[in-house]
Amino acid sequence: MPRKKRTCRFCDAKEVYIDYKDDKRLSRFVTEQGKIIPKRITGTCAKHQRQLVKAIKRARHLAMLPFVSDSIR
Amino acid sequence: MEKARLYETTFIVNASLDDTQVDAVIGRVQDVIIKNGGTANALNKWGRKRLAYSINKKTNGFYVNIEFTAPAPLLASLERTFQLDEMILRFLTIQLDQKAIAARAKAQPAAAAPPAAEPAPVQPREPLFKEPAADKKS
Repeated sequence: MPRKKRTCRFCDAKEVYIDYKDDKRLSRFVTEQGKIIPKRITGTCAKHQRQLVKAIKRARHLAMLPFVSDSIR
Repeated sequence: MEKARLYETTFIVNASLDDTQVDAVIGRVQDVIIKNGGTANALNKWGRKRLAYSINKKTNGFYVNIEFTAPAPLLASLERTFQLDEMILRFLTIQLDQKAIAARAKAQPAAAAPPAAEPAPVQPREPLFKEPAADKKS
């Protein structure tokens, strides 16, 4: 059975900017280990994935998101 | 004269300081912005938060976010201040681009034009390097 095509949820919401301060939201796009989930899984479009990655990395720098989650360390 | 741009800086202050000391640190940062020809537009204290990983063996931090307009050379002195201040664990300064401004305007149309936060009056500061008492629980 063909899987339903996922659409980019940022495009759906007509987002123009992904904010690094919104750590709750960003945390949905990282795995439990803290890795960034690839866009082939989440369905995010390339443009928004780039913004998302930047936001996640900024949030990591400010210790709002982990580089490696506690459970792994 | 350089073009003034809109920036945003977020930094983490050692959370084991008490509130007046944290305010002193914030005041120092604001001083630097003002003295170098910038204007602070907004100051947001997010308060004490748990860090996702420990920085300098600290697990908590006091997050502060300042939005300011400034000519580019200010950033160098601001960065230097951040690095010299031992009570500041981390900082991140970014330039707010059009998209960011647009997104924010959309998020809060009412509060789009906050009155320019006047720089808090600057009192004499307490000594810079006072080792904080052993990590208090915050």
